[in-house]
Amino acid sequence: MSARVLVIEDNAVNRELITYLLRAFGYEVSSETNGACGFANAICGSYDLVLSDILMPDMDGFEFARRFKAAPEVANTPLIAVTALAMTGDREKILQAGFDGYISKPIDPQAFAGQISTFLQDRG
Amino acid sequence: MDEALGTPLAGLSLLEAAPDAMIVTDHRGQIVLINAQAERLFGYARTELLGQKVENLVPPRLREQHLHHRDGYQHAPRVRPMGAGLDLYGVRKDGTEFSVEISLSPITIRGERYVSSAIRDITARKRIEKALHDKNIELRNANLAKDRFLAGISHELRTPLNAIIGFTGTLLMKLPGPLTDEQERQLLIVDSSARHLLSLINDILDVAKIESGKVNITREQVVLQDVVHEVSNSLRALAEEKHLRIDVAVPAEPVIANTDRRALQQILLNLANNAIKYTEQGSVAIDMQKACDGHTAIAVRDTGLGIRDEDRVRLFQAFEQLDASSTRRFQGVGLGLHLSQQLATLIGASLDCESTYGRGSTFTLTIPADAA
Ligand SMILES: Nc1ncnc2c1ncn2[C@@H]1O[C@H](COP(=O)(O)OP(=O)(O)OP(=O)(O)O)[C@@H](O)[C@H]1O
Ligand SMILES: [Mg+2]
Repeated sequence: MSARVLVIEDNAVNRELITYLLRAFGYEVSSETNGACGFANAICGSYDLVLSDILMPDMDGFEFARRFKAAPEVANTPLIAVTALAMTGDREKILQAGFDGYISKPIDPQAFAGQISTFLQDRG
Repeated sequence: MDEALGTPLAGLSLLEAAPDAMIVTDHRGQIVLINAQAERLFGYARTELLGQKVENLVPPRLREQHLHHRDGYQHAPRVRPMGAGLDLYGVRKDGTEFSVEISLSPITIRGERYVSSAIRDITARKRIEKALHDKNIELRNANLAKDRFLAGISHELRTPLNAIIGFTGTLLMKLPGPLTDEQERQLLIVDSSARHLLSLINDILDVAKIESGKVNITREQVVLQDVVHEVSNSLRALAEEKHLRIDVAVPAEPVIANTDRRALQQILLNLANNAIKYTEQGSVAIDMQKACDGHTAIAVRDTGLGIRDEDRVRLFQAFEQLDASSTRRFQGVGLGLHLSQQLATLIGASLDCESTYGRGSTFTLTIPADAA
């Protein structure tokens, strides 16, 4: 059975890109456009991996990560940030907020599938 | 009322020679002697002040506090500045206040205790201090605004680039379907241009970060040969396109330096990239030498355009390109060398250039012995 991935991303084009790449590599993908909807979906969707943008309207990735890691249903699911916040210090700030991994934008499409499967293997 | 001159203090008229305003008071705080500078400073005639309480020269709102301090001084008189750490003020006859600095010294004449005060108007100094302080705050706010601005720019530019590089990638990976050779060739151009754009954005942000002191240097044990090889390998294709050879000569023994790998790599990439860019024919050579005094020199030589002596001062300035004409043949924004020199300074290295116009250039990065 293929792994299930939830993608939370407010930018339509980037959402399409990530979804497209993941499907091309055989993942089953759902997507949401902000942290609040993402959280509701994540709780009941039993995903193997969740990818989230950081800067989003309504609920941003930091708040999303805080709730996600506080929810016993999903706390053990790997949560990866895919973000254009890529200045010095951003990565550390994001990992500190509870994310298990960090991929900066622009993503490298050739390397992306490999990064995702590594995160899936690492899952506890 | 020249009677002060008849007092035991008459001898102290040498106070006139002092550069500061001088006022001598007795143990009750009454003024017994002042010099001309004090008359001028406070706007009174000497006769108006002699015999008056010195508190008359302190703004009314501070008089009580002054009395209190004066009592304290009577009990422990010694030479010292008055009110250390306090802002002190004087008041003129016309009621205007001004900032002062006062130093006190006790004097005893025929068993009587007096206090002599040297008073300096520090209005101008205070104004400068305040201007400086305001400027600092303004700068700090401007820096914070600049940081936020940079973070915003970085994020906004990366977002569309993600789509460009991403979808170009999916096409080149042929995920949607096969490509003709020509389609593939053109997509590779899109891809390399987008990556070039990304590196320009990173350069501009790097410069901005260095300038606001935001770059972290992380030192580790680095085998310098490894970095040289990585750099030459990553640029080999670029050189071959222009039919240039890249020759690398490094010592056989590993040379290890305690330095920031990323900074070193970026400096050498910039130098080698320039060497290829500004050379039409011949070769580019990277050679590394360890001197007997322990420092290591990595030289990037080319047989290219060369640099005129008079242009040399501009080389390392931000956004400077020696050929800035609109017909210039080369891509770039003029940040590579500026950035490289800043990074070199950060890792304690130095960057120098030697060149003969029309013959070629050599840029040398010298890494000091203590880092090696
Ligand atoms: N090896 C070289 N030979 C001749 N001229 C050079 C060489 N390296 C640099 N220059 C001159 O110095 C200028 C500044 O170089 P710098 O690397 O800072 O900027 P750039 O190459 O124009 O742009 P970029 O920011 O993309 O590096 C160049 O525009 C070029 O005129
Ligand atoms: Mg350059």
